[in-house]
Amino acid sequence: MREVKDKRRGIDASKRGGSDVNGIDKKGKGRKVTEKKPPYKAYLLFGLFLILLPTIQKMGLIGSATITVLGTVIFYAIVGIGMNVLLGYSGLISLGTAGFMGMGAYLSAYLTADLNLPFLLSVVVSVCIPLIIGLVIGLISLRLAGYYLAIATLAVAEIFRQVFIEFEVVTNGFSGKNAGYPKLFGVIQFDRQLTFIFMVIVLIGLMIFTYNFIHSRTGRALLTMRGSEAAAQAMGINLFRYKLTAFGIATAYAAIGGVLYVHFIRFAYPSGWNLMLSLQILAVIVIGGMQTIEGPILGSFVVFGVPELILKQLPVIGNVDGLAYVFTGVLIVVVIMFYPNGMIYLGNDMKKLWKKGRKHGKEQLPASE
Amino acid sequence: MEKNNCLQVNDLSIAFGGIKAIDHLSFTVNQGEIYGLIGPNGAGKTTVFNCITQFYKADHGDIRFTNRHGEVVNLNDKVTHQVIYEGLVRSFQNIELIKDMSLIDNLLVGAHIEYKSGILATGFRTKKAKREEEMQREKAVKILEFLKIEDKANAHIGGQPYGVLKKVELGRTLMSDPKLILLDEPAAGLNDLETEDMSNLLKEIRDEYGCTILLVEHDMRLVMDVCDRICAISFGRKLGEGTALEIQQNKDVQEAYLGKGD
Ligand SMILES: Nc1ncnc2c1ncn2[C@@H]1O[C@H](COP(=O)(O)OP(=O)(O)O)[C@@H](O)[C@H]1O
Ligand SMILES: [Mg+2]
Repeated sequence: MREVKDKRRGIDASKRGGSDVNGIDKKGKGRKVTEKKPPYKAYLLFGLFLILLPTIQKMGLIGSATITVLGTVIFYAIVGIGMNVLLGYSGLISLGTAGFMGMGAYLSAYLTADLNLPFLLSVVVSVCIPLIIGLVIGLISLRLAGYYLAIATLAVAEIFRQVFIEFEVVTNGFSGKNAGYPKLFGVIQFDRQLTFIFMVIVLIGLMIFTYNFIHSRTGRALLTMRGSEAAAQAMGINLFRYKLTAFGIATAYAAIGGVLYVHFIRFAYPSGWNLMLSLQILAVIVIGGMQTIEGPILGSFVVFGVPELILKQLPVIGNVDGLAYVFTGVLIVVVIMFYPNGMIYLGNDMKKLWKKGRKHGKEQLPASE
Repeated sequence: MEKNNCLQVNDLSIAFGGIKAIDHLSFTVNQGEIYGLIGPNGAGKTTVFNCITQFYKADHGDIRFTNRHGEVVNLNDKVTHQVIYEGLVRSFQNIELIKDMSLIDNLLVGAHIEYKSGILATGFRTKKAKREEEMQREKAVKILEFLKIEDKANAHIGGQPYGVLKKVELGRTLMSDPKLILLDEPAAGLNDLETEDMSNLLKEIRDEYGCTILLVEHDMRLVMDVCDRICAISFGRKLGEGTALEIQQNKDVQEAYLGKGD
């Protein structure tokens, strides 16, 4: 017995020594295991860049339509970030995203334009009502099995669409609903540029908020639930509650996206909030990359920005009907087949490849001489 | 229930489609001991764990546990995710770790019930939420050091050797400050050196963390080395109970289990 123990101590000592050396060599700080630094600075820089775009446009360097398209990219990115929490982190699917977005849009248009409610109050109400409806749907469907959420949201979104058409008092039916740029505190009237900046601020704020809760107990619980329901339950994670939380986030972000939509585009039309749009949001995160905050932003740019900014400018094929859908469809297939982690990793991988290539090149140089 | 009792399994039975996986099984685990549950493959060991932790609802019998507040509770009254709150946590035979998370994050999942801050507090990074996270991280690092895998704290779980994975599962159970830890084959797949390392860790957990351990194991070296008492079962029924020596000398056990190898 004593021999065994001595042997063990021997192993320990060598192991401990090894890790100490490592610790000092690599980190220079000894044993402390530091948390990964949050990328706030990168987010803020990105936000700053976006905020400067309208000014650059005014200088005539980019077209006015480009700003509209990029605004679109921003609110769909927000919807995508929410969807990513649902699909990427908890593995559930909602097919009713467009419905919740539309509801947020119509509500905010109605509350500000018809009822003259203050903008911020109307935002809160327009996000809370879809959220509550979403939570009720979640409460019912998530008790059954995961895929019931997809079915239930699909059905509810169709009902919403009918409501958007029929409930003319609020939605103005097929004529479409007009809304204005936001007016803050009843005095500060935004123009397009300020609205754009406002959307950027909301986007960056939500990116930081999402990053924070994903890199905490909540995000870990979601990932665990997705990886192993057994482990999650054994660790005290209430599966139902966290599924509901993820769906609540997705719904709230969709409603926020809808509110921004209607105050930036200043118009909502009932047939726009259909299944196709919900599927496009799924495409945003599949193409951009799941389980990242940045992925949905890139995805939104690819799905909603590239067709407008680039494809439509192309000669001949630029005029083909439904070109954007074909483009998205092809991209989904290509990404799933060849790049399942999403395009957000392209930059990283290219950097690696570049470094590798340079190393290779250097090694080969003398030989080629 | 006696004062020294930690877990008392009373007349437990469960059947799957007519086949009795557990058949009127009773045993008692005392505070502060390492108790082994052994038996041939398919004897029903994992099923016992699943009944105790409420992954399965037993057909019959009750499971009395002296929880972290010293109250005796019938675990059958609990939902699966509530069990850990009582101070009882388990590991899994087929390692249930999350591949796309780091070692330390996997450990932090084990502290899920220790956190108070919800999604808003963590999203806005309130002071309280930050402090809580720091505290748990410090605890996780200490446990990683205890397991001697702290140099891999930020490495991903995917691709780690078996020995590390088994340690992480063990570490995750420690994060909730449990009273009783249920370990399902903690040495499965480990080589001799790693198994020895594991037995020493288990003894240290009992002695330094003050936890009671109930373990299922196939590896007789580990069982005989670490267990204070052992219960041998076969086809869901108890064959015998006692110290390692007593179990080794038990005729029924020899026949059903130990003899089989010869
Ligand atoms: N969920 C289940 N459904 C059907 N049979 C099961 C289930 N879980 C366990 N069993 C059966 O119960 C018996 C005991 O299994 P188990 O507890 O896994 O054995 P072991 O002692 O090897 O851990 C086996 O015959 C097994 O097939
Ligand atoms: Mg088993």
